[in-house]
Parts: sequence; C-alpha cells; structure tokens
Amino acid sequence: MYQNVYKYDEMKRSEHMAVRKTVGWYLWTHQIVEVTGGDCVKFLEMMFPKNIGNLAVGRERYTTMLDEKGEIIDDVVVFRMEPEKFWVSTLFRAEMFVWFAAHKGDLDVTWTDVTPQWEMYAVQGPKSLEMVNSLAASPVDSQKFFEIKENEISGVSVYINRAGFTGEKLGYEIYFPKAEAPEMEKKLRAAAEALGGKEVTEFQVMAWTLPTEAGFYYMRDLRHTNPFEVGLENGINWEKDFIGKEALMKVRDEGPAREVVGFTVEEADVHIKGRHMGNEGEFVYKDGEYVGRCMKIVYSYVNEINNGTIIAAKGALKAGDKVLMHGHEAVITGTRFI
Amino acid sequence: MSKKVDPRMPKEVGTGFYPVKSPWDKMISYHDAAHYVQRYTNIVSAAIMQAFRMLVPDYVERSKAMCTNAYNRLSYVYNMIPGYTEMNADQLHMHPFMRGNFVGGLIGDAGDEDLLMCGRVNDFGTYRAEKELDVCYWDIIGTELCRSTTQSLQACADCASRLRPDGPQIEYHMVEAKGAGDRHCRIVAECRKKFPMPEHEQWECFGPVATADQIKDTKEEDTVSESMMFREECDYLFSNGTNMEKDWRSAYPMVTMSYGASYILPTLDDLIREGRLTSEQVDYAIHCVCEAAGKATFIDDFAKAGLRQWLGVPYSISADDGRLMGGYLEMFIQSLHCPYEVEAFNGTECIYVIDRAALANNMPKMVNAYVWFWYGMTKSLVNAQWSLWEEDSPEGKLRIKIAKKVDKFC
Repeated sequence: MYQNVYKYDEMKRSEHMAVRKTVGWYLWTHQIVEVTGGDCVKFLEMMFPKNIGNLAVGRERYTTMLDEKGEIIDDVVVFRMEPEKFWVSTLFRAEMFVWFAAHKGDLDVTWTDVTPQWEMYAVQGPKSLEMVNSLAASPVDSQKFFEIKENEISGVSVYINRAGFTGEKLGYEIYFPKAEAPEMEKKLRAAAEALGGKEVTEFQVMAWTLPTEAGFYYMRDLRHTNPFEVGLENGINWEKDFIGKEALMKVRDEGPAREVVGFTVEEADVHIKGRHMGNEGEFVYKDGEYVGRCMKIVYSYVNEINNGTIIAAKGALKAGDKVLMHGHEAVITGTRFI
Repeated sequence: MSKKVDPRMPKEVGTGFYPVKSPWDKMISYHDAAHYVQRYTNIVSAAIMQAFRMLVPDYVERSKAMCTNAYNRLSYVYNMIPGYTEMNADQLHMHPFMRGNFVGGLIGDAGDEDLLMCGRVNDFGTYRAEKELDVCYWDIIGTELCRSTTQSLQACADCASRLRPDGPQIEYHMVEAKGAGDRHCRIVAECRKKFPMPEHEQWECFGPVATADQIKDTKEEDTVSESMMFREECDYLFSNGTNMEKDWRSAYPMVTMSYGASYILPTLDDLIREGRLTSEQVDYAIHCVCEAAGKATFIDDFAKAGLRQWLGVPYSISADDGRLMGGYLEMFIQSLHCPYEVEAFNGTECIYVIDRAALANNMPKMVNAYVWFWYGMTKSLVNAQWSLWEEDSPEGKLRIKIAKKVDKFC
C-alpha cells in the first residue's frame, strides 16, 4: 500500500540523476513580463523589496513580491535586458498584471506578456557547460551566475542565461524564439545524448525532486508566508519604499512566528499530504503537540530517502528532532539536502 | 382568488439582494444552500436517470451514449468558445512548461472542489495523476454517469493540451466510484506509453490501471466532508499545487450549473437527434418518473415535520395549506440563484413567476422535470386535493400555480 511514486520509478530516477551526474535538459518556459518606460525602475523598486535599479544590463536578481501584509505573492527573477527594459520571470502573470495595475498610479511604465515569443530550455548538470558550448556560437565559460547574454545557436539568435532551479553549480537556461523550438529540441537532444545526458520529461522531477534536494521553493511553498519565515529576507533594501515594507519591518523587529525546516522520512511507502499538492498539508506533531504543517514531501534520489519541508512554529523544531506526520516518523534536518 | 401576498418576511425575497431565506424569515447560510442545491439537483437527476434506463434498457448502450456526449460536449466548449482554453489555463495556473494533458488534473481538481466533491490530490505528474474524493453529491445517480464524468475530464485534458507543447498523453480512469458503492471516487490517469494496458472502449474507463499498487487510499477516519473553501485548516481557501487559490464564492456558480442531469439530458437530445428516441417518448418517461419521485419525497409525517422546522413554518399554517409547498419551492429556487417573483402567497394559492432560462440551465426538458417533480411532491407534502401546475406563463417565464384542483384524469 502507498507504494512510493518516486523511489521505484526508474524513469524519474534516470531523469533526476542525469542532472546530478551528467546533464539534463528540459522545457522550462516561464511567463515573461516585459516592463518598460521612463519610470520602470522606480516602479519595480516599489514592487520588489530587493534592489532593482542597481542591476547592470544583462544581470538579474531573485526576489519576492509582497502584498501590504508583507506576505509573499510571488517569487520572481528580474532581468535587466536594457537600461529601461526589464524581464520579470514568473508563473503568476495574470495576478501580477492585476497587482501591477493596482500600483501603477501615474508612473510612466508599461508591461507586456512576451511569453508567446519565447521558449526556454533548462540545461542543467555537471556537463551543462560542455553541452551549451557544443551548441553556442560563442563559448559561455566566462558567463557569471545570474547573467544573461545574447548568443547564437545554428544561426538563430538566442539568450543564454546562467541560472537554474536544480542546485547544480553549472546550469543554463536558453531562450529560443518560439518558432525555432522544435528544431532546437532536436539539437538539444543530440547534444545531451552525446554527453550521456537526457531530456527531463517528468514535471515532478523538474518542479519538485530536483529543487527540493537543493532547498529551493516552488511557488506554492511560499504562499501566505513572509520572507523572514522562509529565509528569503537577505538582500531586502530597508532604505527604500516597497510594498509590504511596513508590515515586514514589524516582522523583522518582533521576529517571525514560523520558520521552515527540512525533514526526512526513512520509511519509503508513506501517505503524507504536502501542500505542494494543493491541500492543508499534513499536521506535524512533536511529542504529541501540533507544531506545523508539511509544505512538501518528495524523494531524494541522491540520498535515497523521502525529503521535504515543514512550516513550523518558530523554534519548535531543531535538527535531529523526531516528529510524526500521519503516523509516520520524520527526522528534522536543514532545508538543503545535497 | 385574491392573488394577495400575505404578510411574510422579507417581501423582497427572490430579488437577489438577500441570502437564502424562507417566507417565514428562516435563513440558511450560503454554505448550506450550496450543499442543498447540489444534492437537490442530483436527486432530480437520479429520477431522470431512471427515465433514461426505461428508454434505453441496455447498460452498455447507455454508458456509451453518455460517454460520447460528455466527451464531445466538453470538447465543444473548449473548441467553440474563443479564448476559453487560454482563460482556463490562466485561471488554473497551467505553467507554460507543462507538456501534455496531465494539466487536466488541475481542471478536475478545481471542478471537484467547486462541486463540493472534496478529497485530495495524491499524485500529479506528467505520466500519472491520482485524485481521491470523499464526497460526491452525484453518487446516487448511477455508474453510467460516473463513467461519463471521466470522459468529460478526458475531453478537458485533451483540449487543454492542444494549447501546450507536445507531450505525453494520459488516460483518465475512475477506478473507484462512490456511485458504485466504493468509499471514494478515485481517478487514476496513466500514460499508456509508460504504463501499458490493453486497449479498451471509451465507456470502459473504470480501470483496471497499471499502477494500482501506487494508490494512496485514505482511511475513513482521515476523510473530509467539506471542500477546502469551507475548512478552517485550509484558511477557507481552495488551493492547488500550482498556487491557484479561490474562496467559496467560486463554488456557487458551479453548484447551480453542473449536476447529473447536465450529462443525461444532452445525451437524450443526442438520441432524439439520431432518431433512436422521440422527444415525446423522453418527455413521457421523465414525466412518469419525476412525478413518482416527487410523491415519494414526503410520504412520512416526520419528513413533513422536518420540513416545517427547516422553513420555520408557524403553527398558524396548517397541514392543509399550499404555502408549505410554496415555501419549500422558494428555498430551492433561491438556492439555485434563479430569479423569481411571488405573484400570490396565501392560504388558497401560491403563484410564482420563475425565470425559465435560469431554471432550464440550457436544458429545456429540465423545467418540465422540475414541474412534474414538484407536482408529485405537492400531493404528498400537502395532500391530494392540492396540485401544482404551469398556467399562463409569460414569454421566458415559468408561471407556477399551487392550489386545490380537481382533475379526473390525473
């Protein structure tokens, strides 16, 4: 009963481990909101708590977007493509448009969904540099982390971004014009196979198993949390005005009520609900007392164990503690597993 | 007849500005109204299914017809309404990198919750998905319906995938069904390239599946009885794994729009178009069954007593009073968010003028089904001297009269 949907699945395992051992590539297109206009920097500074204006062209920053209560609406990557042209990579476009519109005021700023123009492929893993170099007209060796540059693949203009959602030291994201995607997929497939890599086709691997091992959040994890609760407070510019600042300062001064901890469950075949599936999250008990909820539970193919995260009352859990979720024993850890 | 409206609170009931309220000021919450209307429409649907069974006695033939209709009808919605697929993808947060038709799981999950069919997603992946329901208000109708709802989901999934990059296609099966007596409804969807199984006909979408050993069965004590939007531990919000959230307001349109009959009546329309049945045959069968079902609703005195309590009927209203039926009707029509006016409400007659289109929900035969159902109820809730019939309906309206009537041919 409850046979683990990850552990015994050789397809998922091979896709996951390709990223960890060689190279894995996959369609990873996010929604791209292009923000332009004379006041675009001023506007984005207000929308996001981290600095935006000091980004150099071609550089990007991971940041949260908060509501007035200081709760995270979305986590995004903001790219500076030109001095007055930014890309915001999101999976929350429809809501973002409404949010932007509500706060635009008289500012000279416009935003457009340019997602239909692009397809983005992630190339991740130890051999990703070699794979990208085998395709790109200009080598990408010197490209820094969170740097996006124009390049060319088989005569097609592309953007190559050094980044990823896998925790791999080496990882790239290639933005192709959408019309070129079918041909480019063939080239990616051939290049990966030549290096012993493969395509990652399973959503669960790209969104859950790989990022969870690395301690990354998939957007659902962050809903109704604030940056202090989930460890995303670093880099917030307290000197500027941004939406949610007042509420967040209160959290900063008083301390967050909750925090995220990691856990592992040795028993393989368990039935534990994670909020990543869209529910309340399994209740977590320590010594019979309720201490939090399960944010997500997936499987670590690297460590061969169920792993995940809990949002718990601040200070209630420490590494090594044992808790119960739906009767299954879990051991508290840090949030990074590799 | 006086056509007078006796003192009642509020007189404005039915104008759309008030929550569900009986003529005697008994109020029910939106939560209760949502549950009530969903169960009610499916009781009527269960009667209509019996008519279908009389008209088409063969189970397989019925199931095939319903599955075909469900798949085609939902496909039509996606294909013919400009922008629907895109809007659906946006609302449900189908991410641009999601390949294939497993995104159908997001559609089914949100729809289930809106229809108060609460449960949980146990697996959501490109090659396999599993959803388990603890509650289903459609579970008394028949397993032909269970099969056809699987095909409506399949249609939604297939249509949604056309907007998406090419990817694996999964096949949706209802491997357990509350309508079949199982503890849960359970949809397991599998990609046949990864999980091969013998081919089957469309109506045979009840399993078996290849991954039965991966099923996560929730035990009785862990089941839920409310959708997330009505549960404190969910902060009264439905959420899915892609961060879509909505509250109870999203449920209301759905509970009034979608019920078993919205699968059965369109199938009967198909059979009429194909010349396999006539409209008169269908009407006759629905009439007989709905009238009988209505008569059976209030056969017991305790049922009548319960109704009086629910409506807050004062002692001054005797058992021999058509306002009992009128009050009962109003609660349902309000719960259905169906506009209506009270033309008369007194001890000798009740007259309601109801928006026909809202009541029909795009199914003209549904209106007659209700009228026959309510006629039967009047006979047992009040007594056989009383009747309920349609009379002098204005254009676009259904004018219902409840009064004493002698009919030597009833």
